[in-house]
Amino acid sequence: MASQTPAVVMDNGTGYSKLGFAGNDSPSFVFPTAIATKAAGSAGSSAGSRPAVPNKPSFLPGGAGASSHLSGKRGTEDLDFFIGDEALAAGSGPGYGVNYPIRHGQIENWDYMERFWSNSIFKYLRVEPEDHYFLLTEPPLNPPENRENTAEIMFESFNCAGLYIAVQAVLALAASWTSSKVTDRSLTGTVIDSGDGVTHVIPVAEGYVIGSSIKSIPIAGRDITYFVQSLLRDRGEPDSSLKTAEKVKEEYCYVSPDIVKEFARYDREPDRLLKHTVTSPNGRSVQIDIGYERFLAPEIFFNPEIYSSDFLTPLPNVVDGVIQSSPIDVRRGLYKNIVLSGGSTLYKDFGRRLQRDIRHLVDARIRASEARSGGARSGGLDVAVVTHKRQRHGPWFGGSLLGQTPEFRSYCHTKAEYDEIGPSIVRRFALLGGPGSS
Amino acid sequence: MLLLDYQNVLIQSLLTERFSGAPPASIDQVVSDFDGVTFHLSTPESKTKILVSIHVKCFKELVQYGAQAVLEREYGPYIVSPEPGYDFSVQIDLENLPAEQEAREELIMKLALLKRNAMAAPFERAFDEFAELAEEASRYTSESAPQGVKEGGEVMSIHYREEEAIYIKASHDRVTVIFSTVFREETDRIFGKVFLQEFVDARRRVVTLQNAPQVLFRNTPPLELEGVPGVENASEGEMSYVTFVLFPRHLTPQRRYDSISHIQTFRDYFHYHIKASKAYIHTRMRKRTADFLQVLNRARPENEERERKTASGRTFRVQS
Repeated sequence: MASQTPAVVMDNGTGYSKLGFAGNDSPSFVFPTAIATKAAGSAGSSAGSRPAVPNKPSFLPGGAGASSHLSGKRGTEDLDFFIGDEALAAGSGPGYGVNYPIRHGQIENWDYMERFWSNSIFKYLRVEPEDHYFLLTEPPLNPPENRENTAEIMFESFNCAGLYIAVQAVLALAASWTSSKVTDRSLTGTVIDSGDGVTHVIPVAEGYVIGSSIKSIPIAGRDITYFVQSLLRDRGEPDSSLKTAEKVKEEYCYVSPDIVKEFARYDREPDRLLKHTVTSPNGRSVQIDIGYERFLAPEIFFNPEIYSSDFLTPLPNVVDGVIQSSPIDVRRGLYKNIVLSGGSTLYKDFGRRLQRDIRHLVDARIRASEARSGGARSGGLDVAVVTHKRQRHGPWFGGSLLGQTPEFRSYCHTKAEYDEIGPSIVRRFALLGGPGSS
Repeated sequence: MLLLDYQNVLIQSLLTERFSGAPPASIDQVVSDFDGVTFHLSTPESKTKILVSIHVKCFKELVQYGAQAVLEREYGPYIVSPEPGYDFSVQIDLENLPAEQEAREELIMKLALLKRNAMAAPFERAFDEFAELAEEASRYTSESAPQGVKEGGEVMSIHYREEEAIYIKASHDRVTVIFSTVFREETDRIFGKVFLQEFVDARRRVVTLQNAPQVLFRNTPPLELEGVPGVENASEGEMSYVTFVLFPRHLTPQRRYDSISHIQTFRDYFHYHIKASKAYIHTRMRKRTADFLQVLNRARPENEERERKTASGRTFRVQS
């Protein structure tokens, strides 16, 4: 096994980057996709503020332009940066500014990203890119130009041996194969990806994303935290910081089948109300009560009106709408395999509630159409929401799973192929894990 | 980040977390390091017993140069028989850790430096050999020295990568370390050349660097490697040889540890910087492109020639 180096799997998300080696069951490193550089954003902003225009198209040092003074230097300022948790630590001190090179899932600043990758590979993963194959992820609807830019960096800067770029939603589907409920390893299904900033509902048919039907919901982990915080504040708890709210959200929240009954149950059984002890850095500790927010917080997915007045469609309806807007011949498969991914889908019974609500919607529609048709019987429709153990880092784990398969390397584009054809080669990838492969 | 770390960050962070008293959990991670080194961290028996195994490509050669002794010195009580498929294993029992915080941190660091220590053996042997030879040579004048002392010890070669190797040779007044490297890319070779030239220049220019080891770079095998098997056949121009000459002042017992660590990471450091330079040049190219685009946008004619019409819709064309 050691004769072949394990593939490197990198899932760079808006908030966090997940790095590791294929075959492992969890990423080796999870840290914020942040880079701290000297003199906050001078590289980016100097282009925006009055750019120095070279009066002659000269590449010689000494020509006009803000960058010219750099050429004369033999310094190593470009290596003076930190990534991940170290970046946040450095950014809180003087002299460094923190930048987030990825926005809304897509890479915005390639300079920072190139350096971010360089540091992830050499400092954290400690690999020679020449010796390893790389599996990177991209969000759905990533423009092909971004793929080409990525390939340019991976092949030309790092000379990596081979590259595969997979869509996160497809990898999340692959990750669900570990669940005991999944019997056939198909790449058809609906992925509900809920991270910190935004929740996406993405239909995937046989490994290809149905781009026109993707819907996103502006409710995700951060909103739940805010909601918990506001509940704590309303009650006047002694500590209602964002950090405490996050802790409460992660440790105590669950999804209830029916909020009205749940309220009644809390009144009957007072031992459901819990206490949480917060220890502040100076050593003092205070105790706060935890009450209805245990089930109210995740409820904003199902009844958004209790939290926001802008977005009022419950998650089950969004999922139903997404599947209804997909091509008719894949809908059955999409209903049958609804896969959860991301940290905000980890609440207890989240999947069960979602499945029940979607089934209600579907059954109501079937009954209505049966009534309209006058006597025709429907064969029924199977709705299944898949929860599994790897939900938190779903896309990364799917990548790890596919990256360790023996045929993974044959799906990659190699450095030689890149040299032959150029960056446009990465516009197409054979579908990894699709029909035909084991 | 100018220099690369010597320790494996993942092992370090994983063990720090385990040692801090977190609830025991099972681990099964394959971790890679530079030069095709693979680690395997697992908890095969119970969740409190962590097994750390290492696979090094050239372990046989390292053992030949006394790696076992070095590793036994470093990891004595923790060594267990190697896991199948790996070369060397240590096991730590979480219930049986040193009590003091410092001792624990030291142990973590030691384990994270597993690769460094495995690779250190030939260097240590060369340094010892140097000390012996120097001792012996001090008894002779340079003319009367017997052949063996003048020539120095044998060349130790470590084929740590498929096509690349480190050669170490101890003499009575210096230790020579030679790296052979292959560049897959034409561009990389040029970057490498410039980078190494910079070593030479910097040494000449900056007075404080005069004490640094001398670095030589050439495309043909250096004279020291004459007659070493496996060197001749590779001289097609693809190979480059980087020679470090370590003088007695680098070999003192105090400096020894750092010298070994530094020189071990040289190849990775070298390739890291080639890549970092490329990234830097890409940054500048992107910036330059943005500037040029701005110029182009500005160069757009201000009032373009539009077709003018009379009220009735007729047009006039200037007769040329």
